[in-house]
Amino acid sequence: MTATEYALRTDGLGKRYRKVWALRDCSLAVPAGRVTALVGPNGAGKSTFLRLVVGLLAPTTGSVEVLGESPATNTPQVLSRIGFLAQDHPLYKHFTVAELLRLGRSCNPRFDQGLAERRLAQLEIPLDRKAGALSGGQQAQVALALALAKRPDLLVLDEPMASLDPVARLEFLQALMGAVAADGMTVLFSSHVVPELERVCDHLIVLNHSRVTLAGDIDSLVDEHRLLVGPRTTGDLGRAGTVVEATHSERHTTLLVRDGGLPAAPGWQASPVGLEDLVLAYLRRPARNDVELAEVSA
Amino acid sequence: MTWLTWRQHRAEMYTLGLLVAAIAVFLLAVGLPLHSLFPNGASQCLGIDVTEACSTAIRRLNEEHGYASKMLNLFSLVPFLIGAFFGAPLVAREMEAGTWQFAWTQSVPRMRWLAVKLGALGLAAALFAGIFAAVVTWYRQPMDVLDGRFGADAFDVEGLAPAGYALFAFAVATAAGAVLRRSLPALAVALGAFLAVRVFVGGWLRPNYQEPQRLVELVAAGDPADPGNPRMSTGSAADWTIATGYLDSSGRPLSLYDAVTMYSAAEKEGVKFSAYLHERGVQQWVEYQPTGRFWTFQLAETAIFVGLAAALLAFVVWRFKRRVF
Amino acid sequence: MFVFRIDSRSGVPPYLQLVQQVRQGVLLGFLRNGDRLPLIREVAESVAINPNTVAKAYRQLEQEGLVTGRPGQGTFVNETAAATISPATYTSLQRGLEAWMGRARAAGLDEQAISALFTSALNQAKNENIA
Repeated sequence: MTATEYALRTDGLGKRYRKVWALRDCSLAVPAGRVTALVGPNGAGKSTFLRLVVGLLAPTTGSVEVLGESPATNTPQVLSRIGFLAQDHPLYKHFTVAELLRLGRSCNPRFDQGLAERRLAQLEIPLDRKAGALSGGQQAQVALALALAKRPDLLVLDEPMASLDPVARLEFLQALMGAVAADGMTVLFSSHVVPELERVCDHLIVLNHSRVTLAGDIDSLVDEHRLLVGPRTTGDLGRAGTVVEATHSERHTTLLVRDGGLPAAPGWQASPVGLEDLVLAYLRRPARNDVELAEVSA
Repeated sequence: MTWLTWRQHRAEMYTLGLLVAAIAVFLLAVGLPLHSLFPNGASQCLGIDVTEACSTAIRRLNEEHGYASKMLNLFSLVPFLIGAFFGAPLVAREMEAGTWQFAWTQSVPRMRWLAVKLGALGLAAALFAGIFAAVVTWYRQPMDVLDGRFGADAFDVEGLAPAGYALFAFAVATAAGAVLRRSLPALAVALGAFLAVRVFVGGWLRPNYQEPQRLVELVAAGDPADPGNPRMSTGSAADWTIATGYLDSSGRPLSLYDAVTMYSAAEKEGVKFSAYLHERGVQQWVEYQPTGRFWTFQLAETAIFVGLAAALLAFVVWRFKRRVF
Repeated sequence: MFVFRIDSRSGVPPYLQLVQQVRQGVLLGFLRNGDRLPLIREVAESVAINPNTVAKAYRQLEQEGLVTGRPGQGTFVNETAAATISPATYTSLQRGLEAWMGRARAAGLDEQAISALFTSALNQAKNENIA
């Protein structure tokens, strides 16, 4: 694959605020056309990662490339290919919706005013209303319409549904998925809610303790992982592959393994694992203190 | 981008425009009767021997327009208001509302966003302050002729300097807003910094923009004199007196203590202090800035504040380049 | 137009839910030869689902021979070799299953045990068929 077939590629990407690393050693690639969920607990570095992707932040280490270009350069070309919806979808509250559209038009060469107007008309959002007077769900829809009207190749959304009620969430997802189907753009959005992901995403990045702990296409990730149940064992199981998580009861042991076969030992059974359990297992993993220590002593 | 700048800051434009317009209308209203006191121009009334009409006019000027000085001292905050109200929210408001993430992810690079905003709003601040200064300069014209233009109620609100102050206030408020990320605290910090710099520059730097001129002469027996302050005239009330003092006959400066001792001695002898000094060959001196240096001083003052503004704006640009947000 | 629905909490992968709904629709005669399935974009928008997932479901249905995609026109239901069943038959089968479940419950099986038993029987049947 050539570089341009990836919508997003990071290599050793890291960001440090004064002495604290918000993100480190992040290397991954998201193929074009994917809908990617960035999952992690609050404070894991999700917003930092997204801001690096859209060029609001410059990396401390490593590099990030969007469609083969570095967003940190902040050129109009790269900016026009990225749409961004920040957390709580900030808008100029005292602007009317029509004025926000005008803003979009005057600041974006590729802005598709008609598209934005059609979307807003469909949702019955009045153009002469001030943004601050709209409901939270409507504000989110206006912000989405503005981002989509940029006709971006990569759409980045930071916790887009966190502040929305269930009806508004569904409506927002409908609008988003409709746009993805119509335009075939790549989408990257962060969330700390795991359910609902499966229906909208086909690619996954798990971020925990400022590091990427899991990244890939959801289908292959689910295929690569197995839940192994057998008699209690705390020792080495040889063929079990990488153990992601092990839980022991008095008599039996449950292992979540990656790329692992069934141990030769008798009494073991393998079963597939669901996406939600998989994500939760990765989120439960403790910080990699060993690595931190190794780097400090080096 | 131009439209966005206008739309986002038109409230400040309207408010400050209204402020400047109100001041202009007010000064026009009180200025016309003031100007009419001197139908042939105030320069006719300079010097010691003035006509009856002139002394009446000057008396009426003092009686009816005596508040002008206090009012203009108060007005010296207007350039601050103009600059700071444009500057404080420029970055801080985007931070407060989180809209920086929206503003800087449109197809306009953030450095261009910053350049347009700084350029347009800085220009507007300088323009508003310039209009304000022009109106004040017109209003004070008779007083400028009679009293000079170096007093705080003149120099600080006339000519070019107010535009420089407004630019400085704009820059310091923008920088404070970029660091503090909140508009109101930025405004407060900007006010503190503005006053401190103004007091420092006005009190310590301004008298030294050019080497003061110095006059030395023998005290005349009839001169008005007091021990602390020889009331020595430079020949024009419009000059700016920086310092005065006495020298003994050998040219050595007299301390205040020496002068007071002589004053007591003169009283004991029952002679006028000035006559006593005259007898002993005491000289008086004055250091002053001639009124003709007004524009040189205005340029120097403006250059200092524009320079400070440029340094502060460079700091803001540097912060944007580093992307600390 | 056929309407899909998605249950996020069922544990069944979304693409499979779509596939099953089309199968059931064909089985019950809700979907007939020549009917057009909704466009991928329409499904994505109406049930808020990743369009790639819809495409995957349609691909699988195509492989199974249930539908045919015609470029630029849409996805159409084929004439099915398998006989459709009448809603009455469907209902009677469902009733039978419900009765069986009642017996299983009475025998002391809980939901998980019933599900395990059913799955194992299904798998066995499948294996016998293949054999």
